[in-house]
Amino acid sequence: MPGNVKVVQRPNETSSYVRAALKGMKVTMKHLLDPHTVTQQYPDEKWELSPRMRGTHRMATHEDGRAKCVACGLCPTVCPVNCIKLIPAEDENGERYAAVYEIDEFRCIFCGYCQEVCPVEAIHLGAHYENSEYTRERWVYDLERLCEQDHPFTALWDPADPRSQ
Amino acid sequence: MPEEENSDLVSLTIDGVEVQVSEDSTVIEAAEKAGVVVPHYCYHPGIPTRPAQCRVCLVEVEGQDKLQPSCKLPVQDGMEVHTDSDDAELARKSVIEFLLVNHPLDCPICDAAGQCMLQDYAFETGQLQSRLNEEKLVMGRDRIADDILYFADRCIICTRCVRFMREVAQDDSLVVAQRGDRAYIDTFPDEDLDNPFQGNIVDVCPVGALVHEDYLFKARAWDMDKTPSICPGCSNGCNVTLDTKENQIVRLKPRYNGEVNSYWMCDYGRKHLVMGNRGVRTEVPLVRQGGELEPMDWSDALAAVGERLGGIEGGSAVVSPDACNESLHYFRRLLDTLGVPADAGSYRVEQGEEHTLPGFPKLTLREDRAANGTGADLFGFRRVESWPEPEPGAPLFVLQETLREAPESYAEDASFFLYLGSHLSPAARRADAVLPVTTFAEMAGTFTNHEGRVQRFQKALQPPGIARPAWMVLSGLLARSGDGSPVLDAADAFGEMTDERPEMAVLNWGRVGLKGQTLDSGAGAEAGAGAR
Repeated sequence: MPGNVKVVQRPNETSSYVRAALKGMKVTMKHLLDPHTVTQQYPDEKWELSPRMRGTHRMATHEDGRAKCVACGLCPTVCPVNCIKLIPAEDENGERYAAVYEIDEFRCIFCGYCQEVCPVEAIHLGAHYENSEYTRERWVYDLERLCEQDHPFTALWDPADPRSQ
Repeated sequence: MPEEENSDLVSLTIDGVEVQVSEDSTVIEAAEKAGVVVPHYCYHPGIPTRPAQCRVCLVEVEGQDKLQPSCKLPVQDGMEVHTDSDDAELARKSVIEFLLVNHPLDCPICDAAGQCMLQDYAFETGQLQSRLNEEKLVMGRDRIADDILYFADRCIICTRCVRFMREVAQDDSLVVAQRGDRAYIDTFPDEDLDNPFQGNIVDVCPVGALVHEDYLFKARAWDMDKTPSICPGCSNGCNVTLDTKENQIVRLKPRYNGEVNSYWMCDYGRKHLVMGNRGVRTEVPLVRQGGELEPMDWSDALAAVGERLGGIEGGSAVVSPDACNESLHYFRRLLDTLGVPADAGSYRVEQGEEHTLPGFPKLTLREDRAANGTGADLFGFRRVESWPEPEPGAPLFVLQETLREAPESYAEDASFFLYLGSHLSPAARRADAVLPVTTFAEMAGTFTNHEGRVQRFQKALQPPGIARPAWMVLSGLLARSGDGSPVLDAADAFGEMTDERPEMAVLNWGRVGLKGQTLDSGAGAEAGAGAR
């Protein structure tokens, strides 16, 4: 018999179940009188998320609704799973902007590097977890969809303690 | 960079490394030889003057009270130079801090990011926070040529572009306007830059101030794969680097070769190749069966073509001066096997205006706007103004010539028309067999330039479909009739070619290397640096 295995000595003859049944009833009665719930009533009651929870992305926008992204190309560069597709272009003012910006949320591992590397604080992960879709294609978020998201941004570090980053 | 001339050598010590250099070189050149990187902006080895105005290359020289600009300081025997002393490093750090005073720090949207000397050296100094409290000066941007934009805010007034235009292109149309922190680069009022070599000012710019509009926001420096190649725009054979991204050529950059193009290249060459990304490409072998061109795989197509070639005697041939030496070699061998007369092969070269770079006359945009006319000559193809109409009822063989400018009825009456090409032009659609071959960017091989310098290019792109290099296809066809074996590697194709051609016997794949070897060179005389 190896090391720390506990061997329970059971009686060989048959024993009464009455004592065990009464023990179970006692627990039931106790909970009847003093209810304490651990089950969360999910669809009615939502989870309270940590501000650092890393969920699906959200793009920050200017006041006029334009994405803050300047198409610098750092997020597709730093992304460890290549889930970001970016094609930069020049807009009518000669500014650089993202003509195509797509994130494949299926491929994403939610590491948060894109948010960390962004020089203009445009792309963020979000504290968000309800993401069901009917088709796989819907999991590729384009720029418009990223801008429409309204869940809170993930805080990658505690704003009160900037050194924590 | 000064070539090793017969001048006397002096020896000096740089950061404890002793080097021997010729006495007319400067300290920064000696430092390069010693393997010490001295940061610099205004110094460029290809531009003659050294104004020593950026002050980044200051070094400490023992026995001299003040720091000295290493780009301008002539070497002396026994000199002891320190590039990493406290004084030198403090000076460098301070100069870079000053350069950044009005610099917008817009690296995220700047096309030079990743290949910017200001970014590199500023990062090296390690100062992450600006100490500037004032507003930055904003000057905006300007168009100084058709296709070149100038971002005045990013400019550090190193004047490399002005000096390139003035001294190398010998065109005084670019100047520094204003003074102090308001200085900027400009052309004269109402005049744009218009020089066939102006694209080089973008290459010499150490920051992102001068940007090609074609390249604007196209790619990040780190996204691109870089492949050493040869510019196919004219017969000068400039050494270039192909920058590719997602199997497309994004831009060309000149690659230094002191015998051909120095640090420069012309604008025609830069723009010419971007066309290579376009056009209808041939992707699979097509063989005519019952009046229709049928797609096939390679073994079926080669068998079908080989069968048709079996009963053929004589005919004529057209080659493209853009075909590489190896392809021309095997094509010539195939024609000889088929009994095509030696003078029945012709090629045509598009002509254009000649432009010479005054500061480096070896770099000339030649009249022959094709890379390998000399090679076609070497393999006995006849140069013509327009292709002779093939004899009715005789076979016709075409190698890589698109026939885009051929007359409507060209080759209508050919008894058998074999077309090896990368693009499918209307004339080529009449072929009895179309064998898809790669363009030069999709294969390895050699070109012979106007002065007989054989230079290698490497594969930069994946070919479309199942296209193969022409030398591979032709050697496969020859092997089918029992003549040799199929060649799968460019080095082997080159080896077979030099073995069979006495005038090419001096050439060696390794020695041709990345810098080329001339046909009249004795063995070893033109050893290419870094044979690979």
